[in-house]
Amino acid sequence: MNTIDRHYQLIALLGSILAGFFLLSLFIGSNPIPVAQAVLDSMRDDPSVISLILTQVRLPRALIALVAGATLGVCGAAMQGLLRNPLASPGLIGSASGAAMGAVAVLYSGWSAAFWLALPAGGIAGSLLATLFVYLLAGRNGGTTTLILAGVAVNALAMSLISLMVNLAPSPYAVREMVLWMLGSIAHGSMADFWIMLPGTLLGWLMLVGTGRALDALTLGEETAITMGINLSRLRRRLFVATALAVGSAIAVTGAIGFVGLVVPHLLRPLVGHQPGKLLPASALGGAILLLAADIAVRLFPAGTEIKVGVLTSLVGAPFFLYLIVQSRRW
Amino acid sequence: MGGYRAYSVFLTCILVYAGISKAQPPSRVVSINLCSDQLLLMLARPRQIASISRLALEPNSSYMSDAAAGFPVNDAKLEQLLSLDPDLILAGGYSSPSLIRLLKRLGYRVEIVPSSVNLEQIHSNIRLVARLVGDEDLGETIIEEMNLRVHQISVRSSSTRNRALFYQPRGYTSGSGTLQDLALTLAGWRNLSAELGVNGYGSLDLESLLISNPDQIFTSAYAPETDSVAQRQLRHPALAWVTGNNPLIDIPYRYWICGGPMLVDAVEALADAHQRLH
Repeated sequence: MNTIDRHYQLIALLGSILAGFFLLSLFIGSNPIPVAQAVLDSMRDDPSVISLILTQVRLPRALIALVAGATLGVCGAAMQGLLRNPLASPGLIGSASGAAMGAVAVLYSGWSAAFWLALPAGGIAGSLLATLFVYLLAGRNGGTTTLILAGVAVNALAMSLISLMVNLAPSPYAVREMVLWMLGSIAHGSMADFWIMLPGTLLGWLMLVGTGRALDALTLGEETAITMGINLSRLRRRLFVATALAVGSAIAVTGAIGFVGLVVPHLLRPLVGHQPGKLLPASALGGAILLLAADIAVRLFPAGTEIKVGVLTSLVGAPFFLYLIVQSRRW
Repeated sequence: MGGYRAYSVFLTCILVYAGISKAQPPSRVVSINLCSDQLLLMLARPRQIASISRLALEPNSSYMSDAAAGFPVNDAKLEQLLSLDPDLILAGGYSSPSLIRLLKRLGYRVEIVPSSVNLEQIHSNIRLVARLVGDEDLGETIIEEMNLRVHQISVRSSSTRNRALFYQPRGYTSGSGTLQDLALTLAGWRNLSAELGVNGYGSLDLESLLISNPDQIFTSAYAPETDSVAQRQLRHPALAWVTGNNPLIDIPYRYWICGGPMLVDAVEALADAHQRLH
C-alpha cells in the first residue's frame, strides 16, 4: 500500500470520527430532547421549542467548536512547520493571547456594536501584532529557547493588558469574563457568533491551501528550500497573515482556547510520516475532533456547574506538554 | 498624656451630645448605604440629612437620585463620617460590620435598615426610618399609598397567569424569595424560575429556559449602554423566538436594588406588560 493511499485513509478516518462527534454533540445537552422530532419541526415555518434548542443552541455550538478547533489545529501545524519547531503553536507564539487582547479591546470599548466585523477585525489585528512581535523578538533564526522566551513574554504582556482592559471596562460584568478570555468557552454561542467568525477563518484556511509543498521543502533546511525555488519571506508572510486571520476571528468569539494547536499536530505527525504538508489537513480534522469532544465532555457536567471548554483542553494539554519536555530531555 | 485627655474629653462630649439628641428628632443624619439613603430621602426633612452615600446620586441604581442631588456624599469611610458630626448613622444589612462596631464603640448611634424581600419587610423598614427621623405619619401615608396601588393592580390584572421569568447577563435569574419574584406575582405572572426550583438568585441554562417555554422574558439591566460577553447573551436569537418575537422587556434596576415603595413602579410596569399580552 503506498503512502498516498494511507494518507487518504487517515483523512477519511478522521473525517468520519469528526462527523460522528458532530452528530453526537447535537444529541447531548442539559435536557434530553427528541432530536429526530426536532429536525422535522425545524423544517416547518412555526418552530417548536425543541427545534429551537437544536438549531439555535446546539447547532451553533457544534459549528463553532468545529471551526475553532480546525483553525487551532491547522494553524498549529502550519506554525510548527514554518518555524520547524515542535513547540510553535498559536498559543505559544502569542497569536492566541494577542487575538484575545484585540477582541477584548474592541468588545469592552463598545466598538463591537458599531459594525459586526469589528470583533473579528480586533482579534485579527491583535493576533497579527502579537505574532509579529514574537517573531521580531525571537529573530529570524532564533532557536527554540529564544522563541519560547519571546512567546512567554508576549503572552504575559497580552494577558496583563487583557486584565487591565477588563478591569477598566465600564461593564460591571467584564471582570468576571477574565477566565473566558484566558481559557475560552463556546457555551453560549449563537448562529450570529458563528457567522461573525466564519469569513476570517475561511480566508485564513484558503491562504494555507497550497503551502504544503513549501513546508515539506522547508524540512530539508532553509538553504535547500531556497534552492528548490521556495520564496521563504513570502511563505512566512503568507502563513503569519493566514494564522492571524483564522486564529484572530475564531478567538474573538471563543476566547483563547489553549493546547489544541500544540497537541493535535504532535499526535498526528507520526501518522502522516512527519510530512508538514500532509499534516495540515489532518490537523484541521484532529483539532475539530478534539474541541468537539472537549465541548461534549463539558456538557456532561451537571447543569449549573459551568466548566469552560478551555479548562478541559488545558487539563489534557498540560500533561502532554510535560511529556514533550521529558521527551526532549532525552535528546 | 495631653493627647489622651483631649481624646477622652472629645469622646465624653460626643456621648453627652448623643444622649441629649435622643429626646428630639436627629438633625444630622448620615446614611452610608443606598437602601437607607433612599428611605431617608423619602422620609426625612432635607435639613435633617447631613450626608448620603455616593451611590444615591447614580440614576441607574438610585430611585431617589433627583432628590439626592445637592446633599454631601460619603464613601462609608470612618474619618469622613466622623468629620460629618452625625447624631444618627443609618447603615444597611450589608454594611461593613467592623465599621459599624467601631462607630458604636466611639459612641455614635448606628441604626441598621435590614434588607427586605417581601412587602411586610418593606413596610417595617419604612416604619423604622420614619420613627427614627420622627415622622411616623409620613411613613404610614407612604405605606397606605403602596397598598392602594398594589390593590388597584390586582383588580385590573387578568385571572390567567402567564409564564414569565427574569433573565440577566451571565444567565442569572430571580427565583423564589427575591423582589423580582414578589413583583412578578403581584403583577399577575407566574415566575417560571421559582417553579423550576431556583431559590434566591441562581443561574439558568439556556436549554432549560427554552424548554420552560416562557410567554415573556424580562431583564433588569444594571449598566445599560455597556458591552460584555455576559450582556451579549441576552441578544441570543432563541430568546426572541421562544416568546414569539416578544422583545425582552427591561425593567429598570433602581426599582428593586433596594426594597421600598418604588417596587410598586416595577409591579405596574410588569402588570402593563401582562395586559399587553392579552
